[in-house]
Amino acid sequence: MDLFAQTLVNGLLQSGLYALVASGLALAVGVVGIVNFAHGEYLMIGAFLAWAGSALLGVDPLLSLPVIAVAVYGVGALTYRVSIRHVLLAPELNQMLLTFGLGILLQNLALMLLGGNTRTVSTPYQASSLQLGELSVGGPKALAFGLAAALLGALYFTLYRTTLGRQMRAVAQNRRGAQLIGIDVDRVYLIAFSVSCALAAVAGVLVSVLLFASPTVGLVFALKAFAIIVMAGLGNLTGVLWASALLGVSEALVQTYVPGGGGWSDAVFFLMIFGTLVLRSYRGAR
Amino acid sequence: MKTLLMTGVLLALSGAGAVKVGVLLPLSGGGSVSGQAAKNGYQLALDEINRAGGVLGKPLELEFADDGSAPAKAVPEFVKLVTVEKVDFMAGGVSSATSIAISGPAKQYGTFMAWIGAAAVPVEDAFADHPYFFHYHPWSYYNFEAILGYFKYLKTYKKAKNIAIAYEDGPFGSAGIDATVDAFRKAGFNVVLTEKFKTGSGNFGPLVSKAKAAKPDILYWVGYDTDALPLATEIRQQNLQLGLLYGTPPSWPVGFEKNKLADNVAGLSLWLSSSPNKDSRTFVAAYRKKYGTVTDEYFAPLAYVNLKTLAAAINAAGTTDKAKVAAEMAKTNVSTPFGQLTFSPSLKTKYQGFKAGNWLHFQYLGDARVPVFPIKFAQKPMVYGK
Repeated sequence: MDLFAQTLVNGLLQSGLYALVASGLALAVGVVGIVNFAHGEYLMIGAFLAWAGSALLGVDPLLSLPVIAVAVYGVGALTYRVSIRHVLLAPELNQMLLTFGLGILLQNLALMLLGGNTRTVSTPYQASSLQLGELSVGGPKALAFGLAAALLGALYFTLYRTTLGRQMRAVAQNRRGAQLIGIDVDRVYLIAFSVSCALAAVAGVLVSVLLFASPTVGLVFALKAFAIIVMAGLGNLTGVLWASALLGVSEALVQTYVPGGGGWSDAVFFLMIFGTLVLRSYRGAR
Repeated sequence: MKTLLMTGVLLALSGAGAVKVGVLLPLSGGGSVSGQAAKNGYQLALDEINRAGGVLGKPLELEFADDGSAPAKAVPEFVKLVTVEKVDFMAGGVSSATSIAISGPAKQYGTFMAWIGAAAVPVEDAFADHPYFFHYHPWSYYNFEAILGYFKYLKTYKKAKNIAIAYEDGPFGSAGIDATVDAFRKAGFNVVLTEKFKTGSGNFGPLVSKAKAAKPDILYWVGYDTDALPLATEIRQQNLQLGLLYGTPPSWPVGFEKNKLADNVAGLSLWLSSSPNKDSRTFVAAYRKKYGTVTDEYFAPLAYVNLKTLAAAINAAGTTDKAKVAAEMAKTNVSTPFGQLTFSPSLKTKYQGFKAGNWLHFQYLGDARVPVFPIKFAQKPMVYGK
């Protein structure tokens, strides 16, 4: 029974990290419709900045988090201005190829500048945990979960209770219509894409504390983030948290109770995407 | 103008006929920590060789190529070195996967290979019939022999009986895992858990929960540097009581030694910079002088020894003829930072350098890797958690 309860806790804690990564992607893909395959690379930039702040300047990653978010917001804005805005009217395939290429470019830039070494940060709270009887709740992962919930709540509030949010939803629904009623569409896209990059960087800071920084660290998380927004449904921000929890707990159950389950954990999210798409098409057909 | 022209001609003439060694290394990608360390070792050796008169009376030349830690990149780079750059000898080689990939072209061109890494048994199979393959790094069964020796010591003196094995599900972790489990059982250990994981996923919660239920004395982990910190973190968070966490990644994360979670984590190395061996001290002093820092990556001295012994064999042969150089290499008997180096047959290849007796077991103690076994090399007593 203890093992089962701990497995559920493990899954929920892991899902916090997934939700954090998926929140930015949910905004870019799900709300404003920019399919950003380089999302993981903005996470990687956040992780490296947190590592650099900690290793070179001695700044705690959590303290540097707001600065990193602002810095990567700037990187996102630059990316939008230089590349994304030019393909917004082109077929979606162009967008995908462009962001895919951007991802490769950023990864290789990191390899050239920083090498392939795995870098870790050291903080006093890294291994902190709360003991509830036999159960152990890891501190940084619980923080990631809380942060993801707060960020998704803030995003939800922004989208449904502010003018900027309404503009974003209007642009997502009908770009030309939004333009006709006087919305600065370019500005809305710029803000949405840059905020999405900043959110990826926030996840990157947590990843650097929990795991490591390396040029390829974003890849695994970005793939899972895509799975989560597919499961949640495009544009469904509250669903991101539930879909993350479902993925995290399913992975933990497979890892714990299926023989050799550790090797199957990557298959879990593919199966969940497959199941979701089949179920949706079945419902649609009815 | 005339002087410049003459200088140019003289320089060109002095380069003509110089011995060229191609060095294939993972300078980028997953194996780059070891690859970069090896490159430093080669450059240090090159300086010393050329200061001492070079090879066959001319400065030795090195041609570096990056295999990107990927077989698909290694093959064209290898072929380019052999056919376009026309190197006389090949050195380097860290990863087993890239070494297997180039075994075909190496045999096709009859390339002389002075190889420093690639410990997996399939590499030994691939080069078994190659007449000019000199392998410096111990094969993986020698690594395991050393690990088993250490664990047997822990069984006798620390009452360690239960082993949990966590291995990454790629070729590095999975190859020979059944044989590993059998060997532990034959040695009288209870293998209480054998569990796969995805390297780089950082998701060790379920694995550690299962290990906690199995109550192992030793957690033997076969994975990569990316797994070191997440695993150590999860163990501490879930308060898994272990006698020893023992890992064998090809390299460790940068700065891991400074993290409190690294304390008492144990691992395997062919060499440590703190080794009291005279040749090791000389190497460390020369390395510090050239680079202003010290490394604990054993691929640096391994590459250094590799090039020095290859250059000595070519000089002793007095020619670049492969058969004659191989005959001289086979006679190698030199002291090195790792101990004495000679070449003798392994299970399948003719020229094997270092074997099980050269491994050191270390623990992260006080921000450094400290040798703790074999006892005669231990600089501090090992910390056993039970």
